[in-house]
Amino acid sequence: MNILIIAVAVMAGVGLALGIIIGIFARLFRVESDPRVDLVVELLPGANCGGCGMAGCSDFAKAVVSGKMAPSKCPVSSSDQVSAIAQALGIEAGEAFKQKAVVLCGGDREQTMRLASYNGIIDCVSASLVAGGPKGCTYGCLGMGSCARKCPFGAIEMINGLAIIHKELCVGCGTCVAVCPRNVIKLVPAEAEVHVYCNSPLKAPAKRLVCKVACIGCRKCAKAAPDKFLIEGFKATVDYSHTPLPTAEDVVAAACPTGSLLTAEEHLQIEKHDPDWSAEKK
Amino acid sequence: MKSNSKDYLSFDGGIHPASDGKSLSEGSPVQRPPLLDRYRVVISESVGKPPKPVVQPGDLVKKYQLIAQAEGFVSANLHSPTSGKVVGIVEVAGAMGIPVPAIEIESDGKDEPCEPMPPLDWKTASAADLLARIGEAGVVGMGGAAFPTRVKLSPPPEKQIDTLILNGAECEPYLTADHRLMLEKPRAVLEGAAISAKILGVKNIYIGVEVNKTDAIEALNKHAADYNIYVVGLKVQYPQGSEKQLIDAVTKREVPTGGLPMDAHCVVQNVGTAAAVSDAVTLGIPLVERITTVTGDVVKNPGNWLLKLGTPVIKAVEFAGGVTEEPGKLILGGPMMGFAQKTFDVTVCKNTSGILLLPQSDSIAYDPSPCIRCGRCVAGCPMGLLPCLLGSVIEAERFDLAAENHVMDCLECGSCAYVCPAHRPLVQHMRRAKAEIRKQSKK
Amino acid sequence: MKYLELTIGAILVYNFVLARFLGICPFLGVSKRLGTAMGMSGAVIFVMTLASFITSLIYNYLLKFNYRGTEVNLEFLRVLLFILIIAALVQLIEIMLQKLSPKLYQALGIYLPLITTNCAVLGAATINADSGYTVLEATVFGLCSGIGFALALLLFSSLRERLDVADVPKPFQGTPIALVTAGILAMAFVGFSGLC
Repeated sequence: MNILIIAVAVMAGVGLALGIIIGIFARLFRVESDPRVDLVVELLPGANCGGCGMAGCSDFAKAVVSGKMAPSKCPVSSSDQVSAIAQALGIEAGEAFKQKAVVLCGGDREQTMRLASYNGIIDCVSASLVAGGPKGCTYGCLGMGSCARKCPFGAIEMINGLAIIHKELCVGCGTCVAVCPRNVIKLVPAEAEVHVYCNSPLKAPAKRLVCKVACIGCRKCAKAAPDKFLIEGFKATVDYSHTPLPTAEDVVAAACPTGSLLTAEEHLQIEKHDPDWSAEKK
Repeated sequence: MKSNSKDYLSFDGGIHPASDGKSLSEGSPVQRPPLLDRYRVVISESVGKPPKPVVQPGDLVKKYQLIAQAEGFVSANLHSPTSGKVVGIVEVAGAMGIPVPAIEIESDGKDEPCEPMPPLDWKTASAADLLARIGEAGVVGMGGAAFPTRVKLSPPPEKQIDTLILNGAECEPYLTADHRLMLEKPRAVLEGAAISAKILGVKNIYIGVEVNKTDAIEALNKHAADYNIYVVGLKVQYPQGSEKQLIDAVTKREVPTGGLPMDAHCVVQNVGTAAAVSDAVTLGIPLVERITTVTGDVVKNPGNWLLKLGTPVIKAVEFAGGVTEEPGKLILGGPMMGFAQKTFDVTVCKNTSGILLLPQSDSIAYDPSPCIRCGRCVAGCPMGLLPCLLGSVIEAERFDLAAENHVMDCLECGSCAYVCPAHRPLVQHMRRAKAEIRKQSKK
Repeated sequence: MKYLELTIGAILVYNFVLARFLGICPFLGVSKRLGTAMGMSGAVIFVMTLASFITSLIYNYLLKFNYRGTEVNLEFLRVLLFILIIAALVQLIEIMLQKLSPKLYQALGIYLPLITTNCAVLGAATINADSGYTVLEATVFGLCSGIGFALALLLFSSLRERLDVADVPKPFQGTPIALVTAGILAMAFVGFSGLC
C-alpha cells in the first residue's frame, strides 16, 4: 500500500515540476499568430499552383487576412469557396474575372512544314534555342510538350504535335503562359468560345508556304462580324475586350478560307479525328 | 613572359578533337569572289541596339557609304558593301533561326567606292580620335559576339587594364580564316594591335597563336618587334581561343566567376578585328567585308574567301565550287560552337568566320544513354565545372541547383558533349538552364 | 578510456539509426533536404543529451531510495517517468523553436513532436538504465548517440538530394530507393564492428 502511494506521489511530483517549467517557458517564448490564417488555408482548395501570384496557399491566406488581396483572386476556388472565405472573415468577396488559357496555333504535324530534323532534348525551350526550332513557322507551337508537363491540373494534351488546352480543366493559373518560349498561349476571358488559331504576324505568302491553316488576313471574319475582330497587317485576332464576343454563328458567317477561325470545340474535334479536314471543307 | 614561341602555354582542361579539318583550306590563299547582283546586309547582327537605317528605297549608294547609324553607345554603324541602289528592307533568316531585317542593295556592277575617311597617323593621333574613327568605321568583334569594338576599347578606368591580348589561336576545327589573315597581312594585324594598345594605354601586347600555325608565327615574328608586340606560342588545344582560357594561358590570371576579361585587367581582341581597326585608321575604310572559310568534306573546293557583308551563304558555297553530295548539316562558324542552320537563306555578317557543310555521315543523330560518371566531361571542361552533375539536375528541371553549380559560367564550348561516351546533349542542357535562369532573374 | 569507448561506440559502432535501427521515422521523414535534416539533428541532440541526463539522475537517485528505513524500489515506474520527461523536453524545444526559428519549425512540421514517441530517445534512456551508467557516463552516451544520429542523417540527406535528381525507375522513385540506400548505408556501417 505504501509503495503505491509513494509511486503516485513521485509521478505527481515530477509531473508538477515539469508542468511548471513548461508553463514558464511558454510565457517566455510566446509567439503571436493569427488563427484566421489557418482557417482560410482550410477553406482554400490547396492546389499550391501559384495562380494568385503568391508563393503558395498559406501566403495567399496571409495576404487575404491582412486585406492585401481579395479572396476571389484565387483562380482555382469555386464561387462557393470564395463566398465561404469572405463570410468567415467578414469581408467583400471581390470581383471574379475568370480567365482561361488557349494555344493560338493550329499548326499540327499534318498542317505545317518542318524545315530540318531536330535531334536533341524534347523540350520547347531547348528546341527554340537551336535555330529557332525545326518548324517552318517561327511563331507557332513547337509541340514538344513543355506546357503539358508543367500544367498543375493536367489540362493540356499533346495531339499530333500541337498543344490543346481542355477548357473545362483549365483554371487560368498562367503557368503554361510563362513556360511557352513562343508566347503562343494567351489568357482570354473564360466565356470566349471562338479564336483565330494563328500567332504569326508575317506576310501571307510567307506564312502559307509553311502552314496550311495560317491566317492570311483576308478580313472575311471582320466583314461578317464588325467590331468583334482586330486586324493587324496579315493577322486577325478576336477582340477579347469587346462584348459580346464572337459566337459559332459568326464563324459560319465568316467562312474562313484557311480554317484558322474556329470554335474551341471544333478545333479539338478536328485535331482528335480528322487531321486533314481543310481539304475536305474546300 | 617569354616571346620565344617554342614555349607551349596552356590552360587546365580542354580537349583535342580527333581531326581538325584544317588541312582542307589551310593552304588556300584568300580569294576575292566575283561581284553579285544583290546583297542583303543584316542590320542588327551585333550585340547592343540595332543601328537605324539612314537610306530610303531607291537611294543610290556607293561602296563604304553609311547605310545605318549607330543608336546609342553600344551600337555599331553599318556601311554598304558595294555601289548600287537600295531596294528596301527585307526579312532574311538570321543566324539564330529567327527572321531578321536586312537592307537589300542591288549592285550596279561597278563596285565604286565613295571618298574614304582621311587616313590618320596613329602614332601622333590622340586616343580619342582613334576611338572615334573605329566607331565611325563600324568595327565590331569579328571572332564571335560582334561586340562594338569602340565599346570594348573604352573599359571603365577603375578596371586598370594593363594587357592587350590578340586572339590568333583559331582553335575551332575546319576554320582557317584567321590563319590566312596572319600569314598574308601580318602588318595590318600588328598595326591594329598597336593602335588598340594606344587607345587603351597599355604596354603589354601579346598575340596568342597555336603552335601548329608555324608559318603564321614566322610571318608575325618578322615584324612584331617593330610594334613591341610579343608573339606567344600556345598549345594546340580546344578551346584555346576562348577569352578566359587565353588570358589564363598568356598571363596566368583568372577571370572571376560571372566576370569579364576586364576584371582580370585584360582586353582580348580577334586578329580579324585588329586588321579592321588598322584599315579604318590607316586607310579610312569601314568594315564591309571579311575573310570567311568555306569548307567541309562535301565542298568541292574548300578555301578562304574575302566575302562582302550580305553575301547569301548559298552563293558563297557556289564560289567554292558547290557540293559533291547532299550535305547533312550547314553550320555558320565552327563545328564546336557554330550555329546549325535550317535554311540556306542566311547571309554573311561581320562575325561569320566560317561556312561549314558537313556530310550526312558526319551528321549522325545520336540517342543519349544514361550517364556512367566516367568523368571525361569534368576533365575536359575548361571552366572547371561538373557537366555530368549539371546535366542530371537540369534534366530534373532543378534550375536552382544548376545555378548553385555555376551553370552561368559555362562557355557552351562543347568540350563536354564532344567527349561524352553516352552522347548526352550536355550543351543543350546548359543553354536551356541559362535561358531559364535569365528569364527568372528578369521577373 | 571508458569515455572514448563510449563515444566511438555510440557514434560509429552502435550507431542508433544504422546499427540499432532506432529512430527510423525522422530519419526517413526529414532527410529530403540537408538544411532540414541538420535542424532536426540539432533538436534530437539537445533532447537526447538532456533526456539522458535527467532520466539517469532520476533513475539513479529517485527510483531507489530509503524511506524511513525501508528500501523503496520504484524501478517499475521507469518507462512512465522517462516518457513524461522526454515529452516535456520536446514540448520545451517546440516552444523555443517556434519563437527562435519559425522557418525551421514549419519545415520540421509533424516530425518535431514525433521525437517524443521516437524510440531512439527512449532507447538511449533505457540503455543507460540497463547498462548501469553513472550520470556523467549516461550524459556522454546520450550526447554521442545524438551525434551519431546527426551523422547518419547528414550522410543520408546528402545522398537523397542527389537521388532526387537522378534517373530512378518509376517504381523506385521516392521512398523505395531511399530505403534501399539506407540498407546499403547500414551495411557499410557494419564495417565499424569490432572497433570496440
